[in-house]
Amino acid sequence: MKPAIHVASLRKTFKGRDGATHTVLKNLDLEVGVGEFLCILGPSGCGKSTLLNVLAGLDKVYEGRASVSSGRIGYLFQEPRLLPWLTAEGNLDFALASCRVPTERWDQLKSRYLAMTGLSDYRTYYPHQISGGMAQRLALVRALCVEPGILLMDEPFSGLDEITARRIRTDLLTIWEETRKTIVFVTHNAYEACFLADRILVMSGGAFQQEMPVPIARPRSYDDSAVFELSRDVIKAFGDGMGREPAPVAVPKPHSNLVDDLDRHTAARMNL
Amino acid sequence: MLKVVSLVVAVIVWGLLSLTLPPEIFPGPLETAKVLWGEIAGGRVETDVAMTMLRVVGGLVLALLLGVPIGVLMGLNRRAEAVLDVWVMIGLTVPSLCYAIMAFMWFGLNEGAAIIAIAVTAAPSITINIWEGVKNVDTKLVAMARIFEASRPVIVRRVLLPQIYPYVMASARFGLGIIWKITVLVELIGRPNGVGFKLFYWYQLADMRQVLAWTLLFTIIMLLIELVILKPIERRIFAWRPEVAV
Repeated sequence: MKPAIHVASLRKTFKGRDGATHTVLKNLDLEVGVGEFLCILGPSGCGKSTLLNVLAGLDKVYEGRASVSSGRIGYLFQEPRLLPWLTAEGNLDFALASCRVPTERWDQLKSRYLAMTGLSDYRTYYPHQISGGMAQRLALVRALCVEPGILLMDEPFSGLDEITARRIRTDLLTIWEETRKTIVFVTHNAYEACFLADRILVMSGGAFQQEMPVPIARPRSYDDSAVFELSRDVIKAFGDGMGREPAPVAVPKPHSNLVDDLDRHTAARMNL
Repeated sequence: MLKVVSLVVAVIVWGLLSLTLPPEIFPGPLETAKVLWGEIAGGRVETDVAMTMLRVVGGLVLALLLGVPIGVLMGLNRRAEAVLDVWVMIGLTVPSLCYAIMAFMWFGLNEGAAIIAIAVTAAPSITINIWEGVKNVDTKLVAMARIFEASRPVIVRRVLLPQIYPYVMASARFGLGIIWKITVLVELIGRPNGVGFKLFYWYQLADMRQVLAWTLLFTIIMLLIELVILKPIERRIFAWRPEVAV
């Protein structure tokens, strides 16, 4: 089957103020299957948002190939990015109209996804009248209701408190299991990645360092010890303790093969 | 309620202050109101008020037509900003009296010249306000709109302009404040009617009762415009904005 996303030798450079050329993305190769949930895990500044921008078509200046095959793209930003002068429903209508979704389908789409996220009663509310968590849910509804083939998510829950974030992550998995969208989810949170993904790609310094399958059965539970253990292994493997050089023995033997070449300094900066 | 109290206090303060000077030089509120009522009842205010309002509205519209596009251009385009920056600063520095004299000398003593002088004086302030507003536009919302495949016209109309409206509204309001003051000045030096003309006329006759009566009249009119027209429009357009509680 044709992959949903195909990236080959993707390079992106830009000129800094000092005139030096910085390479943000170094020859990335990536394939994401249809219906796959992929997490890209990496510290800030590692190029993961840049990669998403290229995939989304926001950034068109790059070398190599990046093609997205399965239709429209939905995108969830770190912030909700709702239009503050429109109601919840107005914001959905804006997206539906911009994407030229036939008007007769609007009601059904809106109702479906609003119900899935528990926002059905908030159609007439303005963004400032709902909580940050609800605003991000609404942004998720907006991304879903234009029926994207692929959903790109850029640290969408990092700005929320942990309890709210957990609820939305669980909702996201429920929605994903129902709709089977292809999802590329960028995060710096190892636990989140282990809970959500089929596969984790660890990124740092503009390149993928490791690929890790997540062999945890679905449906997953947030308190599943398997998620906890896997994320603990990931964290341990990436470097013990924040900003501290880990002793060589700190890398546990059974998993050491996963992260041999990960830059430890970068890993230590990760918010794991 | 607080507004009414504060208004009453203002009138009382005026009354108390007026006691310090003879009534021919500083009449109190009651006396001024009486004189004003006499003028209104005698039908001697309509023409002048109408002429002044015409110039104020004409000047405001023209000032917005000049100031808003230039401000938007400066906010969106670096080069335009670099070129027009100095012009706006010069425009802002030249006193309104100079604009009025130049307009009357070049275009003659007519309504067109008066309105041009008024608009040119107010336009730079409006430009600066809009320019700042456009620079504050949230580009993250533009990126969002692009993700949802919004076309350029749609982005301008539904994402950029709504962010600029509050600044246009604010410009119209303070523009009105500036413009009414310029209008009076322009009428004083170059028009045969209007509130400014009347003020100067009564000043030359040293009739302070009339001077204050005309001042009071126009203050009331401007307050009414603010309360009856601008405030409700603003409330309606910006219903989505959260109320600020400090």
